[in-house]
Amino acid sequence: MSSLSVNFLCQERCATAGKTGYNHLQTSSIGYFPAGILQVRIGLNKVSKRANSFPCVKCEKKDEPIEHVSVERPPYYSYMDSTSGQLEPASGARASIPEEEYWPEGTASRVRAARAPEPTGTSAGSPSYGKSPGSRRKKYKTPAASQSSQVSIEPSETVVPEIVEDTVDDPKDSTLDYVIYQTEPKEDEETGYELDKKFGRPHPFIDPKVKKPMEEPLTSEELWWNWRKPEKEQWSRWQRRRPDVEMVFLKAMAETGQVKLYGEIPTLTETSLYRARRHLFKEERLKAEQERLERIGPMAYYSEWVKAWKRDTSREAIQKHFEETGEDENAQLIEMFSYQTDREYRIMMGTDVRIRRDPLAMRMREDQIKQIWGGDPVYPTVNYIQDPDEVIDYRGPDFHEPTPNMLAHLKEHGKIISREELEKILAKEKTEELEMTDIDDAMARAVDIGENEDDEEEDGEVDGEGGEEEKITRNWSVLKSTPQLRKSKAKPKKEEPMSLEEAVDDSENLTDFLMDFEEEE
Amino acid sequence: MATSFVPLHQINGCFTYPRPEIKYNRCHFRGRGLSPTPCPKYRLRPTNASVETPPFPLFQPPPLEESPSQLEPADPDFYKIGYVRSMRAYGIDFKEGPDGFGVYASKDVEPLRRARVIMEIPLELMLTIRQKLPWMFFPDIVPLGHPIFDIINSTNPETDWDLRLACLLLYALDRDDNFWQLYGDFLPSADECTSLLLATEDDLSLLQDPDLASTMRNQRRRALEFWEKNWHSGVPLKIKRLARDPERFIWAVSIAQSRCINMQVRIGALVQDANMLIPYADMLNHSFQPNCFLHWRFKDRMVEVMINAGQRIKKGEEMTIDYMSGQQNHLLMQRYGFSSSVLQNPWDVIPFSGNAHIHLDSFLSVFNISGLPGEYYHNSQLADKGNNFVNGAVIAAARTLPTWSDGDVPPIPSMERKAVKELQEECQQILAQFPTTSAEDQKLLDSMPEARRTLETAIKYRLHRKLFIEKVIEALDIYQECILF
Repeated sequence: MSSLSVNFLCQERCATAGKTGYNHLQTSSIGYFPAGILQVRIGLNKVSKRANSFPCVKCEKKDEPIEHVSVERPPYYSYMDSTSGQLEPASGARASIPEEEYWPEGTASRVRAARAPEPTGTSAGSPSYGKSPGSRRKKYKTPAASQSSQVSIEPSETVVPEIVEDTVDDPKDSTLDYVIYQTEPKEDEETGYELDKKFGRPHPFIDPKVKKPMEEPLTSEELWWNWRKPEKEQWSRWQRRRPDVEMVFLKAMAETGQVKLYGEIPTLTETSLYRARRHLFKEERLKAEQERLERIGPMAYYSEWVKAWKRDTSREAIQKHFEETGEDENAQLIEMFSYQTDREYRIMMGTDVRIRRDPLAMRMREDQIKQIWGGDPVYPTVNYIQDPDEVIDYRGPDFHEPTPNMLAHLKEHGKIISREELEKILAKEKTEELEMTDIDDAMARAVDIGENEDDEEEDGEVDGEGGEEEKITRNWSVLKSTPQLRKSKAKPKKEEPMSLEEAVDDSENLTDFLMDFEEEE
Repeated sequence: MATSFVPLHQINGCFTYPRPEIKYNRCHFRGRGLSPTPCPKYRLRPTNASVETPPFPLFQPPPLEESPSQLEPADPDFYKIGYVRSMRAYGIDFKEGPDGFGVYASKDVEPLRRARVIMEIPLELMLTIRQKLPWMFFPDIVPLGHPIFDIINSTNPETDWDLRLACLLLYALDRDDNFWQLYGDFLPSADECTSLLLATEDDLSLLQDPDLASTMRNQRRRALEFWEKNWHSGVPLKIKRLARDPERFIWAVSIAQSRCINMQVRIGALVQDANMLIPYADMLNHSFQPNCFLHWRFKDRMVEVMINAGQRIKKGEEMTIDYMSGQQNHLLMQRYGFSSSVLQNPWDVIPFSGNAHIHLDSFLSVFNISGLPGEYYHNSQLADKGNNFVNGAVIAAARTLPTWSDGDVPPIPSMERKAVKELQEECQQILAQFPTTSAEDQKLLDSMPEARRTLETAIKYRLHRKLFIEKVIEALDIYQECILF
């Protein structure tokens, strides 16, 4: 911009001044142009073309050599970028290397060591390689005698290296200056196998000189692919017994001394035995509890968990109380339970986590607990790793007992009854029912179902018969299930063609006669 | 002479470097900001121009009068063999003088906030042994499979550290690809080594210090016994060639003793107390006011020699470290084979008996010594410029002289004078116990320019001792004069 203003100034001046002043101004104004600002130049050209009428304003001569801007790096390394307002490198290359303050530690010393100048100068003596220590020192005696001794020292110095030179080929340091070329190593003549090989004559594959004798083939024991039993019995960690609950518990019990094991780790047998025993003990205990409950009654049983209930809980006392107050057992139980505390309730129900349920489980060591229940769920423990081929044993403690006869077993426990008994029960049920629904005596008599009745009463009243038959008809389901009834009816029908009277007797109800006779026949 | 620039005296325990601490030297700058003399400042002008320091590379810094032309640059191979193996030296030169090697600054160093590294030496170049079992070597030098391994194994790591290091050094000198084969040429040879282990009997007798003599005799005997035990005629050649004669072994032990550096080194996760022979750092000399210290860089397992922070160094100044801080002269002599020249050891002790006590505070104020008792220094801001009397010896006097100090109780001048007189008499007595005087010793030294190193050292040792006592007497004189003020 300043250059532009200068140009305009130049124009004005040129307009006013003569041609002679033009050159001076031109040169002076050319001096203002920085090398890289071409735009201004272009503007300048335009300006100058417009101002061509003033020959003194020509700012560019034809014969002036074109200023070639070479592809050199600009003289500045960085400039203030007008767009970003920050310092920017001129060529767009990488940013400058940071100062020494920013170097990582140790860099400064390495740089300094690398920059240290190499020592110049050659040495007069040569090393003795440990033979004569102190040989390369300048030996001074005293300053007074130094001049005299120097002369003597030098020849001794030269003497010493001469002696030393015999033992040493080259001073090692001088080899640093020179590169030693190795002469072509000459080969020994090849004979025999190598010659054959070189010329392509038939030769064994292996040089007989370097051939090693064949070793004995390995026995099958030694072969690596042979399946050998490893020294340890288990060749994989998966083969060890996975710690399941019972094993760990049994081990913990053995450690606390409740159980005696044969070895350290319980074997399968011991574990299954423990399982069986535990199951049986549990059953026994449960049975005992149940039996105790039945024996002493609920009040006495549950009063164990109601510490505040001090009254007598025997059956007699309950009975007495019932007689006195009319509260039966349930009401008394309710009252007793109202004395129960929360903690006792939780204990009774067995749902309190704060109360120790299994002292053995609480007392187990960390690793034992981890073996069964695993450790931290976020950071899994060894137990997390499961054996995919594991076969889990679901067999119960009575695995080895024969399969019981379910029917007899159920029958024994009263869970099943036979069909006859069922029929009996049902019959009993049905009989009772008909007893309840008799209306009059005649009906009462007629209710008595049975084939005796039908056979006896030939001139039975129609009502009665009807009633009887009605009854039978109403209980047709009974008829279906009791084949005897049906049989009693069906038998006389089939025997012979009946007389009218017999037909009347035999007819189930009077409606038979009312019905179409075609059906009868 | 211009006033001296006084850095604080550094006190660290023995020559062991605690693990990652970087010690900072708090300096006192003169108001003028000049740092005239590059050498440690507590010293008398030496009476002669000859050096009084033993020619072992671990020596006291040379006095200023030694013209720099006597220091020649060391063999260029010295640095080159290290450079190739990634050891680096920044801004220093290795120069050799009549007294052996020394490390000198090649450019001025401004006082900086951080300590500057002047040398870094990788672990591969060093010979290290842990001070406790199980001992660890750097892998290159583990002599596994070599019978020297068993020999080292048989020693007690706590007490026989120098023998172990000596065995390791001999083994390294024998291994073909080892750096020490090259570096061994720059170690002082047996006739240049000033360690008293190599001293003969009459050298030891010339010490005029029977305790030190007997100690050295014991050490030598112990080394000899060890050699005889493990290098008897029946040993395999692999061992035999390491030290064919006991002199070589004793030389190795003396090298190990005098050049060993004890550092707490952390490698990996393990922090170990290691005895290390560090190649280029052992060319640093000792000074009681050092300007450098050693640091273990854990990251790439290098030992760095670093200039104390805030220390201004002129070009040509010698770089020095503190070998064993706070130790008396005879310990320095025993271990390193040199004694503190020009009366600079501020920790020397004169065994005074008797009841005479001088007032500590007035003594200190007369000489403008300030600081805590563990770190006395000459506070030259208080003193006038011309006083050069106070040096390490005076500080040592301040420590060793029996003093009393009782809060605000002022000293009674007459009593003080009496006490001073008594102390001076004691000193004279001690001096008289020596067979020779200091002047005679000095003459002796001058007359033997080409004496054996150990002989020179022994004589210097006793000379220094006497000079020290004389200095104490002088100091007491001055104190007496100034007592009224």
